[in-house]
Amino acid sequence: MSGKQRRSRWMGVRLLALVLLLYAGLALAGSPGVLPALHKALEILKTLLPILAVVVIISGGINYFLKPKALAKHLGEESGLRGWMIALGAGVLSHGPMYAWYPVIAELRRHGMRDGLVAAFFYARAIKVPLLPMMVAYFGLDFTVLLTLLTLLAAWGQGVIMDILPARQEELP
Amino acid sequence: MSGEKSVSFSGNLKQAAFSILYMMPMILAIIGLVGLFQSYITEEMLASVFNGNAVHDTLVGTLAGMVAVGQAIVSYILGGELLKEGVSLYAVTAFVLAWVTLGVVQLPMEASVLGIRFTWRRNLLAFFSTILVSVITVKLLELWR
Repeated sequence: MSGKQRRSRWMGVRLLALVLLLYAGLALAGSPGVLPALHKALEILKTLLPILAVVVIISGGINYFLKPKALAKHLGEESGLRGWMIALGAGVLSHGPMYAWYPVIAELRRHGMRDGLVAAFFYARAIKVPLLPMMVAYFGLDFTVLLTLLTLLAAWGQGVIMDILPARQEELP
Repeated sequence: MSGEKSVSFSGNLKQAAFSILYMMPMILAIIGLVGLFQSYITEEMLASVFNGNAVHDTLVGTLAGMVAVGQAIVSYILGGELLKEGVSLYAVTAFVLAWVTLGVVQLPMEASVLGIRFTWRRNLLAFFSTILVSVITVKLLELWR
């Protein structure tokens, strides 16, 4: 386990302890929302487990199949238009909560994925293809088309700005 | 990565599984917080913070979307209900966008996995993008409709 992973794990343990204390405190205070909150949390966990299994397979696959040279070509400094298309497309098509994708993204960054593409990926996740018919039903076709196009544009714009900002100095996982 | 070439596919899967295991305390903590938010922050509480002013509502919609957590589908349903209750489209657009792209609850995990500086920059950019996209979307719609 790297130093970064160890720090990350301990931060997680501390936060988990804090959350458990919060639940315990609310339960002791007799707050009626605790049991529903626990029930909701368990439901989320149930939904998340298959997604995490997919994340493990993707992360393992990235390490096994993708070599640094290929990754640099597709998502690195010289990836160009192809890099943007991959990041935006992957963002639009990815499912599950954002935090489930952190391990995959951390792995890709470790292999040279540009921060701009990471930012574009995360923002493009606002577009949920399976939910587009529902958005049309609630807000109209013109709203849906406009918001989708502007979201993609904003995702790309954020990526461009992120790439312009000085290179990261922080430690990578 | 030359050393990694000898690692088998199952070996890589095992490494990836361990990475997720190391993150499990953080993931469980986030899930616990999401449960609390979903249980304690109601639709009425969300609706009560909007006042009809476009600037105020866009900003509040973004902040509310940052705080509220859950499946994207819930944000559409909530957004639709808020719209019916007379909340402006500026606020609802910002709310729906911020729901998926920003998240206060998952900030510690993002910072811990991807770095504090990256998290700070990305979320700041996403915050302003959400406001900008919401305002432009509604302004263009007003011209179009």
